[in-house]
Amino acid sequence: MEESLEKRVEYSLNYNGKGSDFFGIIMVNWLLTVITLGFYYPWAKAKQLQYIYNSTSLNEDSFAFHGTGKEMFKGFLKAILIFSILYGVLIFCVLQQMPGTGVLIFYIGLVAILPIAIHGSYRYRMSRSSWRGIRFGYRGDRKEFTLLFFKWIFFTIITLGVYGPWMAMNMRNYLLGNVRFGDVEFQYDGDGGEYFALNIKGYLLTIVTLGVYSFWWQKELFEYYVNNLSLKRGDAKIYLNSKATAGGFFQLIVTNILLLVFTLGLGYAWVATRTIKFILENIEAEGNINLDALTQTEENYKDATGEDLSDFLNLDTIM
Amino acid sequence: MNNTTTAVFYDGNSSVPQQIVLSLNSFNRTLEFQLANGSTCKWLIQEVTFDKRATGLHLEHGLDVLQHIKIKDAHFIDLIQNFRKANGHIGWYQKLIDLGFATHFGIAVVIMALIGLCYVYIIPWAAEQSVSLIPEEYDNELGTSAWAGNQYFMDVDSEKTKLLNDFAKELKLQNTKKLKFTVVNSNEINAFALPDGSIVVFTGILKEMKNYDELVGLLGHEASHVNNRHSMKMLCRSLSGYLFISVILGDANGIMATIGDNVNSLQSLSFSREFEHQADADGFKILLENKVNPKGMSNLFKRLQQQSYAIPEFLSSHPVTENRIDFIDKMIKDKKFQTVAHPQLERLFVQLKQ
Repeated sequence: MEESLEKRVEYSLNYNGKGSDFFGIIMVNWLLTVITLGFYYPWAKAKQLQYIYNSTSLNEDSFAFHGTGKEMFKGFLKAILIFSILYGVLIFCVLQQMPGTGVLIFYIGLVAILPIAIHGSYRYRMSRSSWRGIRFGYRGDRKEFTLLFFKWIFFTIITLGVYGPWMAMNMRNYLLGNVRFGDVEFQYDGDGGEYFALNIKGYLLTIVTLGVYSFWWQKELFEYYVNNLSLKRGDAKIYLNSKATAGGFFQLIVTNILLLVFTLGLGYAWVATRTIKFILENIEAEGNINLDALTQTEENYKDATGEDLSDFLNLDTIM
Repeated sequence: MNNTTTAVFYDGNSSVPQQIVLSLNSFNRTLEFQLANGSTCKWLIQEVTFDKRATGLHLEHGLDVLQHIKIKDAHFIDLIQNFRKANGHIGWYQKLIDLGFATHFGIAVVIMALIGLCYVYIIPWAAEQSVSLIPEEYDNELGTSAWAGNQYFMDVDSEKTKLLNDFAKELKLQNTKKLKFTVVNSNEINAFALPDGSIVVFTGILKEMKNYDELVGLLGHEASHVNNRHSMKMLCRSLSGYLFISVILGDANGIMATIGDNVNSLQSLSFSREFEHQADADGFKILLENKVNPKGMSNLFKRLQQQSYAIPEFLSSHPVTENRIDFIDKMIKDKKFQTVAHPQLERLFVQLKQ
């Protein structure tokens, strides 16, 4: 079968999940989490991710998430162990009357965990995701990424945060640039300068317009994330393009807030459904990669420690 | 009976869709199909993962090489699902999911009701238990750091501070730890106690007082907060509340943030209704023990309540002022008390008012 197509085609991305179905999953998970005093959490998370992936389709075929509660539970235990060691060192130093040293070690430890958590989380999530049995994968190198991460953090600190947007874009370029979908490669072309200007403009105009501009800011950020992402295999490419409008974001955000407030949070399932639908329906994908001819290239990776560390640190870095 | 259908097969090595004819063999409990190269595949139904999605019924088989079949034929999907049901292949989780919206909504209501009950009964109890395990030194550290953070913004009146300490020395405050009194120049009508025994009184509230017995009532009230470790109890309550919510919602972080928030806002931490009640009762006892007229306490509250132009913070965080005044008035009526003159207190009070 031909690897690339002669003509450019449009690919369809859809979310077919229903709020009421997702609500059922969340409630059953909630019940089980309460009954088990929280221990069910990794399994609950796996079930939720499975539902979301399964409800997302590309060219009429759904994605799948193969991660299991057991894997994530093991990762969860390792993550707890790592944090206990960090806290243990902190408490030990405080007891030795060296609180300063303790806090320093603690924060350095925390910063050191970040790249490991992000790397691990990407590797796990990608390797456990598939479409038509073709796995995604993350090919980043842990050591390389950690060193880069420290370099970016260092620049960000000495520039008092000004380097932040460059760091964000460098990181995105690296992480997404190392994502594979079978033999298709992802690529992200973010530029720190552009991203910085976008945010400064958004921030200032939001203040001047008393918040009204924030929806345009949101729209531009979304555009920046989507439009700079592309997929390639050999000469063939897929380009992504955002169709989202500021009005669309306004409607989404305001309705979501109202839904959450008036249902005391129970409307979360519908909020999540609406949000994912909105995101996917506003991404256009076009190009000449033949999706009927992908080949399996990525291996299985079942260590969820990074995934769980990211969870503890409240990171939400996946794409 | 029609137990075959056409389906799409993916071999796990490429995304090439292959049309297959799939048949269910209920006797052998297998799904069977033939590939383009002529080889026949038989999957044991028990080893297959089934997933009903919007795109159809998805079957997965294998561990490292994941093979995948997509079935769209509704009739065949029913056939397979009925077979699985009949053979007990539907897991308990799926059964819970299949209970339907009404049951799931019921679960939500029950859990929310449980959360409410926990907040009202279990958390305060758990907090009370944990406070007795925390050493008193921790209270001191907490109070000291809260004070260190605030004192830069406060204009301490050292002369009046000394007078107030002399005033307090004349009283028996039933305190278990040393109390330190501070007067701060501010129009705010307020006073508060920190867990390390620091009691801060603003000149604003002193100005409102007409008699020394009112000041005794106030000090008695604040001393009770310290004696009963109310700050620590509140901290434990909000912490255990947070822990509880974390477990319920499956969130692991944010506990440190709660401690931080509480240390910072300790000063404005509004004591809960029952703590205020306890402090009033204890303050009243202190008035009786010192043979000071307990009407001072009720007078102070009444006067502050009448200050409608600016609702004093000291009372505004306590919504049941009326009840509290009634409670004190009732005690004044019910209890016998003796009062004696306290010329020393009176003299110091006059100086404080200047």
